[in-house]
Amino acid sequence: MRRTVHEGGTIDEWLKKWEEYFVAWYDKEKVDEKVRKAVEFTNPYLDQGVVSVSGGKDSMVMLHMLASLKRDLKAFHWDHGRWLVPREVEDEVLRNIVAVAPNCELIVRSYSLGKSEVSREVWGPWYKEFFGTLRSLGFKYHLLGIRADESSRRSVRGRVVQRKEWVEVYPIYYFTWRDVWAYIFRHNVPVPSVYFRYAKLVGWDKVRFVTLFDREFEKYGAPQIDSLLSWRWKHNP
Amino acid sequence: MMEPLEVTIYFKTPIALGFPWLYLDSLLANLKVIEEQGERYFTSPKVAPLETPDIPVKKWRDVYVSSVSIFEPSDVGFQVFQYFKKGDYPFPQGKIRKGSGFFKDFYLRVGYLPVRSIKFYCSCEKDEVERLLKKAPAIGKERNIGFGFVKEVEVKEIEQEWGLVKDGLAMRPIPVTYLKGYEDTAYLAYKPPYWMKENVTLCAVPFTRVGLSTSG
Repeated sequence: MRRTVHEGGTIDEWLKKWEEYFVAWYDKEKVDEKVRKAVEFTNPYLDQGVVSVSGGKDSMVMLHMLASLKRDLKAFHWDHGRWLVPREVEDEVLRNIVAVAPNCELIVRSYSLGKSEVSREVWGPWYKEFFGTLRSLGFKYHLLGIRADESSRRSVRGRVVQRKEWVEVYPIYYFTWRDVWAYIFRHNVPVPSVYFRYAKLVGWDKVRFVTLFDREFEKYGAPQIDSLLSWRWKHNP
Repeated sequence: MMEPLEVTIYFKTPIALGFPWLYLDSLLANLKVIEEQGERYFTSPKVAPLETPDIPVKKWRDVYVSSVSIFEPSDVGFQVFQYFKKGDYPFPQGKIRKGSGFFKDFYLRVGYLPVRSIKFYCSCEKDEVERLLKKAPAIGKERNIGFGFVKEVEVKEIEQEWGLVKDGLAMRPIPVTYLKGYEDTAYLAYKPPYWMKENVTLCAVPFTRVGLSTSG
């Protein structure tokens, strides 16, 4: 297809260059040692736990690591609905999860308001429904792809957090963003292709897999970038 | 008299965008509204959809014969300018929106193109277009922090009408119902105001192959 917007150069050339960098990082920084420690740490929580997978880079790395430890692990995926995550992206996410953990027991729940454009404007109901769903699942441990270097708040949170009704466990808590990308390139972990277009513009360290055109992320300038890079999904996702 | 034109706008500073393209008809409509309403345009609440004023651009069906922006040089990619913006205004009591609007705050990202100029093709009244464009000191988004400052505007007459299609490529969003063939489509607004949902329909994507329908 002809390039209709200005993204400058091809993604392929740019990706190839970065792939070399991240693979070198994997070996130099001994990421496999971090992986070994993370898997060892997570093992006791897996039997009574569920791996929460958004489809973003961190959760996919976590899923890939843990699927090698327990093939029939339980994975939970929250479908935000088409107005927040276009179906093309959601389909890719589900394909990726199945490719990484083919024997997992995948639990998918959908956000009821995600069928409506309103879901881009109000996020109160999202929190209510999402946490209500987590409660109804009844798992003792929720394994999340949260990392210490994502924010100062997360860095002081610790690796195991006791919540009211469950315990959150962060297997890749000590991974840096470079470690995560290095793992992805080294092990060919599939992530949504939109990532690369966004990474090219905002940088590998800042790119996040978040809901599109979501006013909740206005404060981070996300919808402005969505209008440039995901303009096709603005009016009809 | 409407005639085929090539409008080139040269910039002093990079242009920030909120969408991959700019629309000349929208720019002219905006300038015309500002001219008609004066200061009221900036102070009156914009709750109701504004009437699109008469602009000196030819229409084909209900589509203006004016292209989207063509950036020069064309191989420049988007760049992002990230900054923290904090209003100096005292915050009122109660709940306010800080993500957008008057009290816009926090960490912001602006996508911009460091281009020298942008070009539009259109079928317009030359003098009127020149006159209106002279009233735009800057275009695009985030003009208040220095993006999109105009250096010069050049309006040239050309032989052919390229506002809709040039060399078989759509030069603007055109509803697919007005086409006999198209290569790529998306839901896009095709007439000003471009922010209005009522103007969104399935259109051929700019710079992709199309064939205009002559019937109907």
